[in-house]
Amino acid sequence: MSTPFLDHILTNINSLLGALFLLSAFVLMVARQVQGFLRGFVRQSLLLALSALVLGWLQQSPELVIVALITLAAKTLIIPNLLVRTLQPQIRSRREVDFVVNTPVSLLVAIGISVLSYFFVVPLLAGASPSVSVNLPVGLDVLLIGVYTLAIRREAVPQVLAIMAIDNGAFYAGIAITSSSAIVELAAGLEGVIVVLVVAILTRTLAENVGTTQVGAMATLKEGDKP
Amino acid sequence: MMVAAIPVIPLLAALAVLLFRHPTPARLITAAGGLATLLLSIDLAQQVTHRVDLVVLPGWVGVNGLSALILVLQGFVAMTATIYSWGYMKHQARAGEARERRYYLNLNLFLSSLFLVPIFLQPALTWVAVELTTVLSVFLVSFDSTPQALEAAWKYAIITIMGATVAVLGIFLLLWGLSLAHVAVQTWASLKATAPLMPPLLLKLAFVLILIGFGTKVGIVPMHTWLPDAHSQAPSSVCALLSGIEVSTILYVIMRLWPVFAWIPGSFAQHWALAFGLLSVGVAAFLMIQVHDFKRLFAFSTVEQMGIVLVALGLGPAGGYASLYQVLTHAVTKSLAFYSAGAVLLTTGTRDIASVKGLIRVSPVSAMSLLFSGLAIAGAPPFAIFLSELSIFRSTWQTGHILVLVLLLGFLTVAFLGVLLKVNRMVFGQSHHRPVSLPLTIRFALLVGWLPVLVFGVYLPRPMHHLLTLAALTLRR
Repeated sequence: MSTPFLDHILTNINSLLGALFLLSAFVLMVARQVQGFLRGFVRQSLLLALSALVLGWLQQSPELVIVALITLAAKTLIIPNLLVRTLQPQIRSRREVDFVVNTPVSLLVAIGISVLSYFFVVPLLAGASPSVSVNLPVGLDVLLIGVYTLAIRREAVPQVLAIMAIDNGAFYAGIAITSSSAIVELAAGLEGVIVVLVVAILTRTLAENVGTTQVGAMATLKEGDKP
Repeated sequence: MMVAAIPVIPLLAALAVLLFRHPTPARLITAAGGLATLLLSIDLAQQVTHRVDLVVLPGWVGVNGLSALILVLQGFVAMTATIYSWGYMKHQARAGEARERRYYLNLNLFLSSLFLVPIFLQPALTWVAVELTTVLSVFLVSFDSTPQALEAAWKYAIITIMGATVAVLGIFLLLWGLSLAHVAVQTWASLKATAPLMPPLLLKLAFVLILIGFGTKVGIVPMHTWLPDAHSQAPSSVCALLSGIEVSTILYVIMRLWPVFAWIPGSFAQHWALAFGLLSVGVAAFLMIQVHDFKRLFAFSTVEQMGIVLVALGLGPAGGYASLYQVLTHAVTKSLAFYSAGAVLLTTGTRDIASVKGLIRVSPVSAMSLLFSGLAIAGAPPFAIFLSELSIFRSTWQTGHILVLVLLLGFLTVAFLGVLLKVNRMVFGQSHHRPVSLPLTIRFALLVGWLPVLVFGVYLPRPMHHLLTLAALTLRR
């Protein structure tokens, strides 16, 4: 079945997917519309699933194919649907006008993170397979950009999705470097769904009780002034 | 099989709570479940001290000295918290029967996830259990549904889940290290055995990701920002669980990997632990002087105490026993401090330190309990934490970390003064509160909570010493 030529093509396809995956982290970082953020997240998860499929073929690993299916089910179907169902349209259609840090500065920071994370893992890549050399640095990078994205967001839904993007980064590296059992992946996928469900309910409660989903504006709990 | 029964008991209790409409059976079932888990975990710990390791399902479920210690502490705090909840939730003005049932459902589910963490033998599954503890406790933190409680729950969920997600890459890297060495079994034991074969850089990267990731949920400065909010806004019984044992349970995961990270050349992990530990103790000590909310005072004290444990870990093998001793005394003392704080909250109806005065005249029980648990948590003799901190000072001296010792003593003095000044102001003086009689279950929970704090302050019973020694051995590479 597997020929060197086909393997070569697939390895290149995986590199291309890696580039697109990295790009998707940048897109999420600058997306202003909550809806747009959601679409960007679905695309990113799709890339993760595709990469798992390609690596599954290259490494002849049925477990990675299962991981791809779990990712498809949880992150491209269940999680977006959950968010759409739990949250009223006015939350989903919100626009974030002010980030904590403006977009050009954020882009510079993200490029800085990319370069640094690449040079940090390069010594680990000596002798590693081509797929590890793509997935490990890109995964670490998407994870760190995800943390940064979370930090500059003020709106509830993008914060939740930024966490799931961090998760995508970790698993993007994970599919290349571990042969973790499918049960663990299944548990982790299920976990993601529960996380989103819980946080979505919390977001709805916030909108109902506090009247805003601008979580960045919440700062009543602190030292200094009287409670 | 008993190991698996411990998390199953609260799960069954949660199901049973659903069956009844009235809250009384829910209170009874939950308290009985708490007692059952404590008895089972004590029995388990006894078996472990005889056999060292107890594997139920090879490669999946098992207990060693360290996890048995954590299970016993979880069982103890769960038992007192479930009894305390009885009187506390009943007297919470806004409770109502339906809400109270929902509280017990959430509490039992949270307890179940908490018991899952120490029994898994695979790091990946343990990570899943850690995530579960977060998502199942979010609604306990937001239980009061006030804007402040929701704010606290939001920060809690987002920041700690982010931390856990960062940690998962660290775990993947360790598993990669296993596969590089052609080891197929992905357990704590196989990691410990394979660690010397892994590239040091891989271990370093994994360590940083795991320390920052799980450290977020332990409340290590500078990732602690959510902790004082969540640990003060939740109902007091839940605060006792979160502050008393949940943070230590997450720290357990880092401790479980300690023998792996000890292989990083140049004592890399120890230096990081010392730096982050001292930073946490220092920052928390100075923040404790500034608080206006007495539950936040104890929450910051948790950040401080976790810092102390981390400093002890950073001392290397010499500090292993002392760090676990501190975990033990912190769990029993901090849960008691929150029970006392909850009793004061019930009596006065406010968390504001300046609004509470002359507590001793209106509720002598809660006043005395608050005063002495404040002294106990600050490390005064003759209470449990005094002895464990003394053993940490001794290890610091013996390993020659004089600067660490000086800084630690300085910060602890600041924290001591902070606690003492605040508590003193609340307990003495003229009172304007109406006298309130505390519910019987709360008095009972306080009584039971005081026992280990007083006993461990005088001496450490032999079986406990045995268990600590066994647990400390698992920290060595």
